[in-house]
Amino acid sequence: MRILRIVAAFLRAAILKETAYRAELVGNLFRSVINIAVAVGGLAVVFSHTSELSGWRLEQAMVLLGVYYLVQGVVQTALSPSLNEVVTEVRKGTFDYVLLKPVPSLLLSSTRRFVVWHIADVLLGGAIIAIGLIRLEAQITFGVAAIFAGVMVGGIAIVFSIWLALTTLVFWFVRVENITMIFQLFFDTGRYPVEIYPFWLRSLLTFVFPVAFITTVPAQTITGREPLVAIWLAPLIGALALLAAARFWRIGLSRYTSASS
Amino acid sequence: MIVRRATLAGALALTRAEVADMFQYRVVLFLYSLWEVVHPIVYLAVWGAIAGEGDVGGLRLSDFAAYYLTFMLVSHVTAAIEIYTFGPMIQQGELSPHLLRPMNPVWVAAARNISYKSVSMLLLIPVWIGLVIILRPAYSVTAGSVVLFLVALVIAALLSFLVGTTFALLAFWTTRSFSFWEIWMGLTFLLGGQVAPVELLPGFVQNLATALPMRYTLGFPIEVLLNRLDPGELALGFALQFAWLFAAALIVRAVWRAGIRQYSAVGA
Repeated sequence: MRILRIVAAFLRAAILKETAYRAELVGNLFRSVINIAVAVGGLAVVFSHTSELSGWRLEQAMVLLGVYYLVQGVVQTALSPSLNEVVTEVRKGTFDYVLLKPVPSLLLSSTRRFVVWHIADVLLGGAIIAIGLIRLEAQITFGVAAIFAGVMVGGIAIVFSIWLALTTLVFWFVRVENITMIFQLFFDTGRYPVEIYPFWLRSLLTFVFPVAFITTVPAQTITGREPLVAIWLAPLIGALALLAAARFWRIGLSRYTSASS
Repeated sequence: MIVRRATLAGALALTRAEVADMFQYRVVLFLYSLWEVVHPIVYLAVWGAIAGEGDVGGLRLSDFAAYYLTFMLVSHVTAAIEIYTFGPMIQQGELSPHLLRPMNPVWVAAARNISYKSVSMLLLIPVWIGLVIILRPAYSVTAGSVVLFLVALVIAALLSFLVGTTFALLAFWTTRSFSFWEIWMGLTFLLGGQVAPVELLPGFVQNLATALPMRYTLGFPIEVLLNRLDPGELALGFALQFAWLFAAALIVRAVWRAGIRQYSAVGA
């Protein structure tokens, strides 16, 4: 309960702070519209030569693209602002102040900041999913929606874990501002269904760096495609990834020695 | 365009200094170059999945491999980074000291561009050779196509630099020059030969891509190298590439002159 109150307070503070940058919403919305229009244009080019891509129809690929942007939006709204701050603070030594507060350091480090204007990607991603589903004339029962939600949460847990693990490296290497680029590198392969990749790359993207669970699997569940792997694996891997990342964070934290003397 | 000897010597010295500076950021540069590897691989996978054992518009899997492997190198050589290097200089008032030097600050941007590419190319090449071994592209190049490719590549790099500089110079007027740049990048993605080789674009979009400048910063050199164009298309392509280069040079000049007149540094 107390934890929820703290997170709510951060969220409220973030919204108050961000209302100072109202024009950012327009700017971000504009950028999101451009990005998504270009991506959909790309799909149109690809599907002008084929009616299905590794078994995916245009509308299904659109839903997948929507999931990609939705996750991207969540990352930029809620994950990257807080965790990027950790990197700066550890370098400057001001991470001390996080440790001194009577709140678990991991919670504080991962929920302090919200850049609410990036919600534009979440909204537009959702819109693309909706358009794809309407054009598919998909029958979304309550059960399917619930499974989709569960798989999405699992996917976002995986994203958070990867991001947290990369951030934790700061305790060893200090200068890691660009390390989260590694995430984006792999994540960009998730704009298309993982089935298009050759076997070795598909395995890498399913089991080592599980991008497949972030975009392909959620899109499969809601568009009624035969799932790539057992659906229940997604939340399970999400939970395991969270545990592993939290453990790694604690190991990293024990190495923190502040800066200067 | 006449360039004075002293300016050339200055540009050379600047480039040497920038290369030395750039070596500090090896790891970051390596990550950036990996970026240029990932995107072509995604689209190679897309087209490979569609082609399967057959072909798409006459292109087989090994042709797509040749196209997108060449793409990796070309997109690296022609990448415009001025929005990240030159734009912030204007925005943060760091342009002022450069204005006192007896040469145009655009040379600073050029020196940084060349040094970035030469250092990160050293890091990219080993990755690229590994990919060539894995993907086994079908390169059907001729001596003539290699020579024409090099010409097209140099013009593409110059054109791209001028376009990138133009967008960076918008920082004289707006803090949102990056949004305009993203529109350009989006158009390059669609029409420049990234999402698909231009020859695979549907009807009127292909004509649009042939007329607009994006293809001449990216896709055109690749098509030249891989002998995808007949003599007529080749001649038209080079004519348009030169025309756009000339136009871009005029635009950069005009934008620079207008911008510098109303430049005022930030800070006390």
